[in-house]
Amino acid sequence: MTVAALSRRKWSPFALYRHSLWLLTSRDLKVRYSTSFLGYFWSILDPLVMAGIYWFVFTQVFHRSGGVGHEPYIVFLLSGLLPWMWFTGAVSDTTRAFLREQKLIRSTKIPRTIWVLRLVCSKGIEFVASIPVIAVFAIFTGATLHWEVFLSLLAIAMQAVLITGIGLIVAPLVVFFRDLERAIKLALRFLFYASPIIYSLDNLPGSLPTLAAFNPLSGIFSLYRAAFFPAQTDWFAVIVSAVMSLLILGVGILVFRGSIRSVLKQI
Amino acid sequence: MTQTSGVNDVTSNQPPVITVAGAGIRFQRNRSQRRTFKDLFASQARRVRPGEFWALRDINFTVRSGEAIGVVGRNGQGKSTLLKLVAEVMFPDEGSIGVAAGVAPLIEITGGFVDDLSVRENVYLTAGLHGMKKAEINERFDEIIEFAEIGDFLDTPYKHLSSGMRVRIAFAVISRLEEPILLVDEVLAVGDKGFKEKCYRRIEELLAGGRTLFFVSHNERDLRRFCTRGLYLDKGGLVLDGPIDEVIDRYNADYHSNV
Repeated sequence: MTVAALSRRKWSPFALYRHSLWLLTSRDLKVRYSTSFLGYFWSILDPLVMAGIYWFVFTQVFHRSGGVGHEPYIVFLLSGLLPWMWFTGAVSDTTRAFLREQKLIRSTKIPRTIWVLRLVCSKGIEFVASIPVIAVFAIFTGATLHWEVFLSLLAIAMQAVLITGIGLIVAPLVVFFRDLERAIKLALRFLFYASPIIYSLDNLPGSLPTLAAFNPLSGIFSLYRAAFFPAQTDWFAVIVSAVMSLLILGVGILVFRGSIRSVLKQI
Repeated sequence: MTQTSGVNDVTSNQPPVITVAGAGIRFQRNRSQRRTFKDLFASQARRVRPGEFWALRDINFTVRSGEAIGVVGRNGQGKSTLLKLVAEVMFPDEGSIGVAAGVAPLIEITGGFVDDLSVRENVYLTAGLHGMKKAEINERFDEIIEFAEIGDFLDTPYKHLSSGMRVRIAFAVISRLEEPILLVDEVLAVGDKGFKEKCYRRIEELLAGGRTLFFVSHNERDLRRFCTRGLYLDKGGLVLDGPIDEVIDRYNADYHSNV
């Protein structure tokens, strides 16, 4: 009798995926914003303080003697720092993607890639929400906005692919090798200085720019910067990082697929 | 005569909803064992590596729509693992498990609840994660709250609820999922007597509504109350699959002779 009515709830796999992904993403954001008094302002405050520190150190203390970066430096800095916050926040959170949600993962059968993707999404939304900060500084410092601002959309897509790929590799491996969590933290700290955030690719001496282009973040950040500094776009770096991002995503999917059944047993 | 005993005749011509064919799963004996990358990926191979054991092996059975199955066995014989395989929150290393209908898992029911969110938000979150649409949750929201007897705490953060309330709201949500298959894993051991009885009545209602039940318990009375068919697991194998009374008698006989 009622059983026939029960199966009326038909989800297409894609709709179910999107539905679950959105539920968990919005849960993450809700938890973050409801548990702290300052809520949204934390996602602005963090990059703001960082940018303030670097601005002070590099323009007031060191006077950027070699002409590192571009004027206005604060805008230059923020256009690298904000996407970096997305990258580092999401990657370091994926190290705990499974461990923190053990109980929930043990009781629901939603596609497991959602546990990684939700972090990419929630940190990505925070990144988008922090964009007004750079707009404010751009207005105050009189930086001109170029049509290349639309390249940021490409940059966002590439960065999402890259982070998802890294997350799919890191999240399952951390379950088995806990040391990886600390290794990732260390790698992120290194990567901050190895990426063109406080400097730009063309500040690097000798053949280093070519080498640095193989850091997928180089190409991505140069696309973001194109909004205010069109000369910054290094298409060689962009293509390399697009290829690298897709490659990492491919490896991520393989690692994730191969290890997920062991992960589910372990947690 | 219990009220469920007549169900068997009706279900014999129902389509199978759960098909378990040659299923097996193995685990690492101790966690500290050194793992290599090879272990991680070569999980489909049939041979057992040192330090591993089969928690379940060569399990075969079919469940038809509307059946009420009780799983019996001593601790550590794979009951909960079997339930997790049926819930598809774990995958078998060999064989296959087919589940043809939606599942409402009463396993770790409080697992999806978030401490910092309110009861209301948690209800929408958990029901949503189990595949309910917002409109459907709206429809059932009052019913859920009423069942959990938690009306005054709708906007209280979940972490401020007593442990009894937590179980109540969790049970209320999962049992309202309206999925054709119900999995129950001794969750009802918590909560006071009155609420436990309420949960049991709810399960009976669901059974009468044509649900398929998969029930893991150590409690003989509960097993006889709900189930018509029993599965007896021992040492990772399915020892007996038959009417619940027969299965419980066999289990008791083995248990007393073993100890």
